[in-house]
Amino acid sequence: MSAPIHINGFTNDTLGWKAWLDVVQLAQATPAQMSVLEESHPKAKESDYYLFLVHQPEILRQRSLAFNAIMYAPGGLSRAERELASTVVSKINGCVYCASVHAQRFEQLAKRQDVIEQVFEEPNGAGTSDRERAIVDFSIELTRNPDHVNASSIQKLKDAGLQNSEVLDLIHSIAIFAWANRLMLNLGEPIFPSV
Amino acid sequence: MLNQSPSDTLDRLVGLLPQSQTYAARREREKVVFATQGSEDGLFDPALPGLSVEERLYVALYACLLTPSPDLAAEYESRLQKLGANLQTILLIQKSDIQSIQSIQNARLEAILNFTHTLITKPISADKMALSALPKAGLSTPEVVTLAQLISFVSYQVRLAAGLRAMKALEMSS
Repeated sequence: MSAPIHINGFTNDTLGWKAWLDVVQLAQATPAQMSVLEESHPKAKESDYYLFLVHQPEILRQRSLAFNAIMYAPGGLSRAERELASTVVSKINGCVYCASVHAQRFEQLAKRQDVIEQVFEEPNGAGTSDRERAIVDFSIELTRNPDHVNASSIQKLKDAGLQNSEVLDLIHSIAIFAWANRLMLNLGEPIFPSV
Repeated sequence: MLNQSPSDTLDRLVGLLPQSQTYAARREREKVVFATQGSEDGLFDPALPGLSVEERLYVALYACLLTPSPDLAAEYESRLQKLGANLQTILLIQKSDIQSIQSIQNARLEAILNFTHTLITKPISADKMALSALPKAGLSTPEVVTLAQLISFVSYQVRLAAGLRAMKALEMSS
């Protein structure tokens, strides 16, 4: 069990999420909707997020395929580093819910939370090594100013030791959270545990 | 080199050829290639009920202009032109300011584009009020889901394109 973090409104607590508009009721779900829920996430049938998105099952199916391939595929960038990038993007975009989930995953994979505390304090300059700082810097740059990213941005990652395949995984992990954060932030809100 | 996924929209826009390292790196993450193209195809599928293809392309164009991502904006503009979309509407969207969007004089499209503006430029500022403007403008819940997924997908696509373009630029310079 990791120590609780509460910094600038961000946390590693387990949060809930509720949709602002009507979700699909499981009893009324079509077979296509049921199969997409089953493919998307082990707990999708209990989640307002998936039950809302499954109003458009094929779009959710493709989104889940992309998300799961980016975050869980073996090889390439370590899963902890993918989770770190996701947490940085979520902090920059202001998605408290996504940040809490991916902060927890980072901690589970890396067995530490020092860099998460730094990111919640101030993402600029966060990182416990040159490699981590390079990952964090690039995550901020591609999130805030995609039109400014250039060859020297990639060279900095390579100088910090990332291989080509790791750079691509990092780009994927950052980009998919431009997507995920916007859904979570605009279709509903986090529910905080009662104290 | 057998069984490789074919070139897709991103390869074409970024100018990635099969002999490039960046192209090869993408093929090691083939599921992502397929799901990215699959998402684009699904979001712009004419058979998808609700938002018209024209409305969806206006959203994509506006999202790319606001990001900004000139290359992807040009791509969506050309798709609108091929579709025979209203040139005046395209011009007003290209001006990108609130007054121009209002002067399209289409309350439904205005609500759709205002929501796009919020999600692209300041996703944190959106709230229940911003979302409820969509049902008020006549959008059904499945249409709201399509719109939110579309704007969010374009946010993903522009960053993926930007990252790949930078990888390609470094590859070319070495």
